[in-house]
Amino acid sequence: MMITGVRITIFLLFATTLTSLLLGTALAVMRVSGVKMLRAIGTLYVEVCRNIPALFWILFFYFVFPDLLPSRWGQILNGYQHYPIAAGILGLTVDNSSFVSDILRSGKLAIPDSQKEAAASLGLNSLQQWGYVMLPQMYRAVLPPLGTRMIHNFKNTSLCMAISVKELTWATQNIESLTFRGIESTTIATVFYIVACGIMVKIIIWLERYLKIDITSITKSRA
Amino acid sequence: MYFLEQFANWKFYLMGMYPEGELGGLLLNIQLAVVCLLLSFLAGLVLGYLRLSPRKFIRIPVGWYIDIVRSVPLLMIVFWFYFFLPYIMGEHITVFRSAAFSLFVYGSAYQAEIVRAGILAVPKGQMEAAMTIGLSKRLAMTYIIFPQAFKIMVPSFVSFFITLFKDTSIAYVIGIIELTQAGVIVSQRQPDRIYAAYLSVAIGFWVVSYSISRIENVLKKKFGTIEIAGIITGTKRV
Repeated sequence: MMITGVRITIFLLFATTLTSLLLGTALAVMRVSGVKMLRAIGTLYVEVCRNIPALFWILFFYFVFPDLLPSRWGQILNGYQHYPIAAGILGLTVDNSSFVSDILRSGKLAIPDSQKEAAASLGLNSLQQWGYVMLPQMYRAVLPPLGTRMIHNFKNTSLCMAISVKELTWATQNIESLTFRGIESTTIATVFYIVACGIMVKIIIWLERYLKIDITSITKSRA
Repeated sequence: MYFLEQFANWKFYLMGMYPEGELGGLLLNIQLAVVCLLLSFLAGLVLGYLRLSPRKFIRIPVGWYIDIVRSVPLLMIVFWFYFFLPYIMGEHITVFRSAAFSLFVYGSAYQAEIVRAGILAVPKGQMEAAMTIGLSKRLAMTYIIFPQAFKIMVPSFVSFFITLFKDTSIAYVIGIIELTQAGVIVSQRQPDRIYAAYLSVAIGFWVVSYSISRIENVLKKKFGTIEIAGIITGTKRV
């Protein structure tokens, strides 16, 4: 049970990291783009999603979302065996992507506009300008806070137990209620979380070294 | 009018069963967040200061405490306090207290990091200058370093308050009737009102944290935007 829990937790971690990076990047580009409409939508999304707890979003996608859809789709979703996991991923993505886009937007401010102009003068179209010139630099500039956010997101996966996703925290509670071995299982889970966070920190520090980020220079330039 | 009827439970969302029974709803969230913020601010000050202590046997255990608390999900901490603290201590504690304890422990570790980053953000020359004019280390800390550090910390504290406020929703899991739980209760009793229930919960959380984030923006402008987050994340991040 614990091993299934670990597997599902890790699956949730990878899935939500991927989806929220994608959605967050799209939102960040929307929010700094020249089109007023896109900017307004992006800002609205971020302001709404950032100020409401992740737990709410998870519950929302589990209980309310199937009802909002046309009734046939809703029934299919409710009947779907893995819907709790999908709802958890959706909820965490909504919560996390708003933070990601906010972080990326602050990264855009750290990069001079002349980069984009230079890219335009090389004849790249706007997709290429973002994809090849701006986004890599933005990611590099915001790697430390982005990493913190991803670790936070990893810890938030434990919230999925509220909708009975069978992940690690749920497993400990289930073991407690079945065998009264709660303390042992919770200790193991706690150790797992500590170790996993430690590994993530190591990976991010390694990435920083690899990309040769001088953190002090970035913080100074923004201050 | 039908639409408005959906929100007839607003009192329940706002303060639970308060005049007759226990306080609940949004006010409970705010109460939990404020109490835990203030208590964990004091603990965070002490811990953050000790983390910078020159003595190894103080610095290292405090560092461990902070790192461990920061890398465990809040939900795990809540479970530790809710299920196993009574078991270990052999005493029964109320649900509210166990939620408050866990938020306190969680908050103290984070605030210690903010305090540490704030103290480190004060230029080194300040300490040296204070030493030159003959202040002892303690005096220099209280009168020179700390006031400046505090100014730098204020926006981070406010943004941490938002985080803490949103995290009080986790008390839902151990059955405290706070805003999320209130919404779930209403939506279960009146399945036709499910949208209204969730919408009210969302509005409740959104209004409070959005208004605090406006205050945070004002404070940032007033105290300047020194990127504390970058410093925190730059040195040690969990």
